[in-house]
Amino acid sequence: MTRLILIFLGAVLVNNFVLRYFLGICPFLGVTGKVESAVAMGFATTFVMTITAAVVWPINTFIIKGLNLPFLEYVSDILVIASLVQLIEMFVKKTNPALYRALGIYLPLITTNCSILFLALFIPLRKYTFIDSIVFGFGAGVGFTFVMLLMSAIREELDFAEVPKSLQGAPMTLIIAGLLALVFMGFTGLIGTA
Amino acid sequence: MSLILLAVTSMGALAAFFAVMLSVAHSRLKVEEDPRIEKLFEELPGANCGACGFASCRALAEAIVKGEAATTSCVVGGSEVAAKISQLMGVEAEAVERKLAFVRCGAGVSERAKKAIYRGVETCRAANLVMGADAACSYGCLGFGDCQRVCPFDAIKMVDFLPRIDLSRCTGCGRCVEVCPRGIIVLENLEDINYRVKCSSLDKGKKARQVCEKSCIACGRCVKSCPYEACWMEDNLAHIDPVNCQVCGVCYTVCPTGAIVEVKS
Repeated sequence: MTRLILIFLGAVLVNNFVLRYFLGICPFLGVTGKVESAVAMGFATTFVMTITAAVVWPINTFIIKGLNLPFLEYVSDILVIASLVQLIEMFVKKTNPALYRALGIYLPLITTNCSILFLALFIPLRKYTFIDSIVFGFGAGVGFTFVMLLMSAIREELDFAEVPKSLQGAPMTLIIAGLLALVFMGFTGLIGTA
Repeated sequence: MSLILLAVTSMGALAAFFAVMLSVAHSRLKVEEDPRIEKLFEELPGANCGACGFASCRALAEAIVKGEAATTSCVVGGSEVAAKISQLMGVEAEAVERKLAFVRCGAGVSERAKKAIYRGVETCRAANLVMGADAACSYGCLGFGDCQRVCPFDAIKMVDFLPRIDLSRCTGCGRCVEVCPRGIIVLENLEDINYRVKCSSLDKGKKARQVCEKSCIACGRCVKSCPYEACWMEDNLAHIDPVNCQVCGVCYTVCPTGAIVEVKS
């Protein structure tokens, strides 16, 4: 149990995908204009990450390793991710049209979100068990959502701040992203190597 | 060889599995959409200008199908689009009154008096906040072209620091009306030839004359000369009633300052 909690916290804080590995920067900068859509994007990504972790593990263990086809790892990962994103897109369109419209192009873009491919490639490297990898995938998603929430909340506040003209827009966003990354560096070494 | 075979079959099986899963999901999670929405959307201009009060043409199409908006809601499309939409919805088409933007100020930069030198932010909105910047007339055009920038149809061009509206391009969406801080742009029914007062000044004749060569000085000649009683004077500004106006053009010829203009669409 402790091991699972450590894996979870490690994925959320210490090895946060966005601010530690700089993965998934596209939605991090693109969808964080509003808290609502940022959190929705985070949830969608969390969902895809968790399911990806659950699907990738058996494929990796039984097909890639079981049949000794290591060169097919990327191909199978991409296949899994693309199909899952399609699935979630249909699901969101059916259940929540407003959310579907708010997420817009970023929903299909989860397909090309590098943090998810990274997750899929990371799981066999860390020699996680099935449960471990699901927790890891979920933790990575929660970490992503957390950072999206932080960033969007700051950016909403920033609308009322007086930003020097030369820093308005993208420069200011990048500075804040950098500062957030610095903050997350503070978690380094908090939980061993997990 | 067997390795290739193994790779092909394993990936093929995986792909087939996902394909089946997705096709099942597709049929289960299919969103039933009113087919009329798509048809209406195709008829609408697709400019997403927002003149109808909805966020996009798609949103208007959905609202029309739901019955929340009239079939004649699209101002930009005019009667033509309204007729097609009404036909699709199976209701009687009503004619859409086509309104176009008209600028109620006719003074170019050389005809306007200046009261100061303005070096501030070059937008009408900013200039209006500092007592109208350099413009001596407190009613007329400021000339920074906020309307030109906001126009989604490229119908407004600043000529001599005064918006000139290309009536063939104007769709009457009303974005310029909203953005003008002085409220000198109005939407009017401008079919064929019209006579309009191209001034908004409520100053008395002398003051109006001092600040602008083309202002309405409230002399009342148009009111007296109009044979159809379509002109009247209110708050030192001449008005022409488009309903009573028979387009004879007398007011246009008698106006001493040229504040009444002929508009041809």
